[in-house]
Order: sequence, then structure tokens, then C-alpha cells
Amino acid sequence: MLPLSLLRTAQNHPMLVELKNGETYNGHLVNCDHWMNINLREVICTSRDGDKFWRMPECYIRGSMIKYLRIPDEIIDMVKEDQVQRTRQRDSNRGGRGGSNQRGRGGHNMRGGLGNRGGKNPRNPLALKKSK
Amino acid sequence: MDFQFPVRTASLLYELDKKLMVLLRDGRTLIGYLRSVDQFANLVLHKTIERIHVGNQYGDIPRGIFIIRGENVVLMGEVDKEKEHCPQLQQVSVEDILNAQRKEQEVKQERSRMLAKRLKERGLSFVPDLINDDLF
Repeated sequence: MLPLSLLRTAQNHPMLVELKNGETYNGHLVNCDHWMNINLREVICTSRDGDKFWRMPECYIRGSMIKYLRIPDEIIDMVKEDQVQRTRQRDSNRGGRGGSNQRGRGGHNMRGGLGNRGGKNPRNPLALKKSK
Repeated sequence: MDFQFPVRTASLLYELDKKLMVLLRDGRTLIGYLRSVDQFANLVLHKTIERIHVGNQYGDIPRGIFIIRGENVVLMGEVDKEKEHCPQLQQVSVEDILNAQRKEQEVKQERSRMLAKRLKERGLSFVPDLINDDLF
């Protein structure tokens, strides 16, 4: 589970975003993209020193301005469920023998050989690690 | 372990699920379990605490899960369980350490104000940077 996928999992959950300039934004995540740009709703913005507050119905934050995001603890549990579900789905998909469209990606000559799903040596080593 | 590294991730993958100390560019220290990284060294820290040091005292603030944008990280390293409890350092409550930190900051600001004043008397301009607290 990559950091940005985790962020996607946290959609519609409350979170705290701290920007590089020290301002923090509390709100619910509406959407995010590959650049970590995010959309929040029901936002409370807090100044650097924590002495000024602003409320706004929604805001958009450019990813490059972000220092870190803090997300609720439940999200990790959701990831676990998500992964269990996905493995189950994959296992049930694997049941029958070799329809050509079982692997979604890759042309004819890629079949079997280069697909990284369930292979012994996944190309993305992160896939080996299950987050706890 | 025989990993093929994703581009530009160096060897961060060896640190997965270990207890790490992460130092951010703003000088904050986070300690937590590394759960995930990507090619930008964005990190996911789990069961994170923020540790504040003032003199030989320190305090831990529980913070939960962090997704840290990689560019804000200065350094990170595994926490040695055996050496974790250092007798020279004394753990104090969150409130105490925050107070100590505030005092330390005030002293620092006062000093930089004085410096600015002295330099101005000598015809040099020095504007203390109170907005950007990046130490690195």
C-alpha cells in the first residue's frame, strides 16, 4: 500500500493537513490525486501559532505545499479489510483456467510472462509487504 | 531479501515495519513504525509519537498515523531498542515539555531581536526570520 493509495483510502474521513508554512487545515478529504493535491470540505484553518482560526466550506490544497497529513487510526484497519477482500477476489478469479482476458493489462505477447499479479517475483516489492 | 528497488527509493524498503525516528525540516522529531514508502520517499508512519527535547528533558505526544511528504524529511534511522532508555534523559509530562519548549523559543526570539538591534546600530540590516523555521 503506497502512501498515496492510503490517502485515497482515507477519502471522506477527517484529517489534519499541515502545510510547509506551518498552517494546519482540518477537514474531510473529498478527493486527491497523484500530485497529492487535495480537496477538503468543512475546513478549519489554523494559523502557524495556533491563535487564529478560519472556517471555510471547502478548500483545495496544492500537493507541493503539504508538509504532512495526519489521518485517523481506523484507516489502517480499512486497508487490511481492503486487502483481504482483494486477495479473495483474485483467488476466485483464478479458479478457471486461462481465459485470455484474465490479466487486464498487457498485449498478447505479455501474457503470463511479464504480468506481475501473483507471480513469484513481483516487480513491485511493496506488494510483498502487508501493512499491519 | 532480494528486492528489485523501485526507481530512486534507495534502500528504504529494508526499514519497513521497523521503529524509526524521522527528523523533519522544521526540526520536529517523529518516532513511529514505517509502514510504506514510495519513489518520492513519502512515508507512512504508524503509532507515531512526536518527541520534544529541551535540555536533558523530553516529552512524547501521541500523534497516530502520519503521511509525510518526502521532501520535508531530513533524515531517518532505526531506533535501537536496547539503547532507547537513556539514563541521562528524563521524561516529563506533555504539558511540562511544551512549557519548556515555549520558554526556549522565547529566549531564542529575544536573542535574534537583540542581534538585529545590534547589527542595525552598526548599519547592517538583519531581519529575523520568524515565518520560516526550517532548521535545515
